[in-house]
Amino acid sequence: MEMLLMGAALAMFGLAVSCLAFGAATREEPATEKEMVKGAAVNARFFAAAPVLPVAAHNRVPIEALLLQIENHVRLEQAAAACFLESPSATVLHGRTISPLVN
Amino acid sequence: MMDADLLKNLPPAEAERVLALGKRVLLTAGAELFHLGDAAGCLYLVARGRIRLTLPMQVRNQEENILVEELSSGQTVGWSALTPPYRFTLTATAPLETEVIALDREALNAYFAAHPDTGYAVSLNLASVIGQRLQLFQAMWLREIQRMVELRCA
Repeated sequence: MEMLLMGAALAMFGLAVSCLAFGAATREEPATEKEMVKGAAVNARFFAAAPVLPVAAHNRVPIEALLLQIENHVRLEQAAAACFLESPSATVLHGRTISPLVN
Repeated sequence: MMDADLLKNLPPAEAERVLALGKRVLLTAGAELFHLGDAAGCLYLVARGRIRLTLPMQVRNQEENILVEELSSGQTVGWSALTPPYRFTLTATAPLETEVIALDREALNAYFAAHPDTGYAVSLNLASVIGQRLQLFQAMWLREIQRMVELRCA
């Protein structure tokens, strides 16, 4: 009888140890806030990956030259629009200019 | 100045009387005639030289005044002086030595009230100037829309 009780007690103890070990092995760690932010950023980049120009290429044209290009573009666009007002037609309205900003 | 766009179809003597309401303002190269947002009390006729009309735009993260229109002798600048809320919607500068005739709104209104035929003729001229520029910018705007559609919706 004593042997039987001892065996039952050992079996119960073994079962408890097995349950604890199984629980520890399968428990998921709660995600930290930092990891969640990182995940969100990765998802955002997946859909909105904007092409980034190298800094050197971005600043290749001096700003003075860029401003002159913009001014030249405005003048060419005004001239094109004035042509349309003199002889209104869809072809003249959408005539191309030589502006480097649109070519 | 008798051939100024604002004075078309006025008898010469009448055009002289309208011009006599104004005062000549001399601008050195680079001087600002008015600034975006300023109270607009005067309409200007360009007597000689040029006036650049600009609007601010962000270029490489810094604000730059970008040319919108350039006006020369005989053209009218600053109709904001005649239309509420009487605030300039552009900045005007002289790229070279320039002379303008500044016509005060109150003086013009008083004169036109006393001389309605002149007021009517000048109003028609002003409407014509505004209408032409509206059509011009309408066409420019549509050209930009066309390019946007080609770039984004092709």
